[in-house]
Amino acid sequence: MVQLRPRASRIPASAMVEEGQPPSEEEEEAEHGLLLGQPSSGAAAEPLEEEDEEGDDEFDDEAPEELTFASAQAEAREEERRVRESVRRDKTLLKEKRKRREELFIEQKKRKLLPDNILEKLTTAGPTNIKKPPGKLKEANLQKKKEEYEKGSDSQNAKERVQKVQFVGQNKSYVALRLKDQDLRDARQQAAKAFIQNSLYGPGTNRTTINKFLSLENKRLPVKKAAAQFLNNAWGTQKKQNAKRFKRRWMVRKMKTSKK
Amino acid sequence: MGEFKVHRVRFFNYIPSGIRCVAYNNQSNRLAVSRTDGTVEIYNLSANYFQEKFFPGHESRATEALCWAKGQRLFSAGLNGEIIEYDLQALNIKYAVDAFGGPIWSMAVSPHGSQLLVGCEDGSVKLFQITPDKIQFERNFDRQKSRILSLSWHPSGTHVAAGSIDYISVFDVKSGSAVHKMLVDRQYMGVSKRKCIIWGVAFLSDGTVISVDSAGKVQFWDSATGTLVKNHLIANADVQSIAVSDQEDSFVVGTAEGTVFHFQLVSVTSNSSEKQWVRTKPFQHHTHDVRAVAHSPTALISGGTDTHLVIRPLMEKVEVKNYDAALRKITFPHRRLISCSKKRQLLLFQFTHHLELWRLGSTVATGKNGDTLPLSRDADHLLHLKTKGPENIICSCISPCGSWIAYSTTSRFFLYRLNYEHDNISLQRVSKMPAFLRSALQILFSEDSAKLFVASNQGSLHVIRLLEGSFKHLHTFQPQSGTVESMCLLAVSPDGNWLASSGTSAGVHVYNIKHLKLHCTVPSYNFPVTALAIAPNTNNLVIAHSDQQVFEYSIPDKQYTEWSRTIQKQGFHYLWLQRDTPITHISFHPKRPMHILLHDAYMFCIIDKSLPLPNDKTLLYNPLPPTNESDVIRRRTAHAFKISKIYKPLLFMDLLDERTLVAVERPLDDIIAQLPPPIKKKKFGT
Repeated sequence: MVQLRPRASRIPASAMVEEGQPPSEEEEEAEHGLLLGQPSSGAAAEPLEEEDEEGDDEFDDEAPEELTFASAQAEAREEERRVRESVRRDKTLLKEKRKRREELFIEQKKRKLLPDNILEKLTTAGPTNIKKPPGKLKEANLQKKKEEYEKGSDSQNAKERVQKVQFVGQNKSYVALRLKDQDLRDARQQAAKAFIQNSLYGPGTNRTTINKFLSLENKRLPVKKAAAQFLNNAWGTQKKQNAKRFKRRWMVRKMKTSKK
Repeated sequence: MGEFKVHRVRFFNYIPSGIRCVAYNNQSNRLAVSRTDGTVEIYNLSANYFQEKFFPGHESRATEALCWAKGQRLFSAGLNGEIIEYDLQALNIKYAVDAFGGPIWSMAVSPHGSQLLVGCEDGSVKLFQITPDKIQFERNFDRQKSRILSLSWHPSGTHVAAGSIDYISVFDVKSGSAVHKMLVDRQYMGVSKRKCIIWGVAFLSDGTVISVDSAGKVQFWDSATGTLVKNHLIANADVQSIAVSDQEDSFVVGTAEGTVFHFQLVSVTSNSSEKQWVRTKPFQHHTHDVRAVAHSPTALISGGTDTHLVIRPLMEKVEVKNYDAALRKITFPHRRLISCSKKRQLLLFQFTHHLELWRLGSTVATGKNGDTLPLSRDADHLLHLKTKGPENIICSCISPCGSWIAYSTTSRFFLYRLNYEHDNISLQRVSKMPAFLRSALQILFSEDSAKLFVASNQGSLHVIRLLEGSFKHLHTFQPQSGTVESMCLLAVSPDGNWLASSGTSAGVHVYNIKHLKLHCTVPSYNFPVTALAIAPNTNNLVIAHSDQQVFEYSIPDKQYTEWSRTIQKQGFHYLWLQRDTPITHISFHPKRPMHILLHDAYMFCIIDKSLPLPNDKTLLYNPLPPTNESDVIRRRTAHAFKISKIYKPLLFMDLLDERTLVAVERPLDDIIAQLPPPIKKKKFGT
């Protein structure tokens, strides 16, 4: 059995409790004391006493600091304000940085584009999708130029196709081309063709080769005949060509030697 | 007649393209046929089924739908997403309107002819208004989940049936919303992994919707309740097309096996008023998929991947049971694709995207009648000329001396100069061709190869003088009055004075080239001209029409010749008039002015004007008389038409010199051997 000793901590604990709202710095100790105050075992009491004794040693010379709630609150508010300020400053800095980058990008883009007046004309004209026939003479010239340009571009890259915009501008010294989403259109067309190919000739359709189809009759005749395309004429074309050339050369050589 | 050595040519690897869509116009009795290479051809069914016009194709224009609108306007739509209107007078494309829905799969004209409905890849059905000079987008209907593959208007114009993948929707035109959605079984009373594609729908006036799908079923739906009424399983493969007659008592469907079925509305018992649809006749005229069918008042028309166009008149609808009621199968082209240079024995073959130049082989052997002589030098493939660009070649020609080749596409005209040194040839292109030469319908060189005649699709005729590496435009004959009836044909006289051109409703015009003015006009005939030629020395113009009539007109005298009047009075032999295919080429013998050599796809004939004409009782197709027969019998049976059917099917036949003929054949088996795969047919015992 451990003997109970009257603990000095009890009194300050109760004193703190009586005061009402204990100061923040001593809150922890008070709680500690409160918790330990309830159980009646003395084992826990000893280290607390020591702590208290140590703490008491420090504060023995002075009176414990009395912190009012108001001051503590004021400090807390200061703290919060400081944090808020710093966050705001960070945000503004970031915003400014982003703004500057945006402006830089816009400027770069502007440098890449055509001058403003031409762009305006293009957007107001809009894409016309009715291709007029090359009957009229003026437009015949235009059409020819467009075709020549298109042929030029076609020869460079056969896959890329450009969508033409109806001609704009008074002077006919250039042709404006606009790259529309021709790739999307091509992709859809390819998908459509693939769908038809798949549904007619794809897996699951009951298709057969022409040879088998035409040979069906031959199989049922009383005297069975060979298949319709029995000979594969495309077999060994290179070999046959080489043989022909060799034969010609051999004949010439033979003629020469026989003449001699 | 004389003895000839015949160059029998079979190395022209001509493959026609498959037929994709067929549209029949009732008012003018014309048929528009579109092929997989983008060509649209117009056949005149009342002019002996002659192909009178065609619009050359384009690589990107894969048409999926074709229809006639009010006022003889032809529209087509394809996988490039554009609706194209064709100008039948100027023979070019009026305009192309982008529907902005992706690839277009189907198109239908409203019964009144004023609205156009288009079914697109993204599932939208778009309504267009047909205005006098173009079409205008009106509105979209409700968008569906999958692509709209077939469309059909109700005869009153209030509802539209649209077939898609696995379901059919019925739309109300006024509101544009889908009234019913009928789900189609994937397989007849079974389950299948493959989606059921509704290839065709037809809307009848009593509210029945007929659908044909890829499971081989023909189904009848009631559009008021949206339920299935009747189900017919007719094939093991897809049923790909449907066409209903105007009276709505019969319709025709085409299957992927090549069979065409005729359904008719017959009464249940002989005196009851209740009727039902019964499958009456199967026709097997095709070997491959029948992708397009049409129903005219008297005939069933079908066309498919095997490139034949088959017109089957229905016996119960035909009034007069004569040869007109026979089956017509159009396989070979109705115009010339081969030109010949007689001096150098060269042949120029025209394909859709390239030209081939071949030199004929030669032989030194001789033999009797009917022998095959061995070649001492094989035929040589000299040149393979590919065209630039995606457009198809419209026409081509080689000059008689063999040093100029010219061909034309819709947007450009090409002229090449050929140089021959020893055994090599070199090609040089003449650049900067004038713009008015493009889209030429017919090109012809004069006999001395100094002049080039070009008939453009505007109707004008250009005369160009050819110089050593360049050309000079001499004159243009402006189009005369009269509508364009058919494609222009040209003929030039061997002495270079006269030029004849046909194609307008005004008749055949003859121009004087020396004085560059119109000389005379042959009176017009109500059938289009299929071949034209001017004889040497006598300058008689021989014209062959699509109803197998042959006229001879003397140009210096400006009137029909005596022989022509005699034969018109007597009339041609009935077997001559019953031939199926038109005469595509006429030529003459240089030393025998009484002979005319002409050919069609299945025979060639030498008309000897000095011999008596056959009447209906004599045998037209005289076999070669045996030599031991007496002279008297031979004289009795001899008549003017010497016909030989040894070489067929003939694409071209011409006289190279006095003793040599060249015959270009194209056996049907060689065409079939290069077609896409057909549906497998299971036969017992194989």
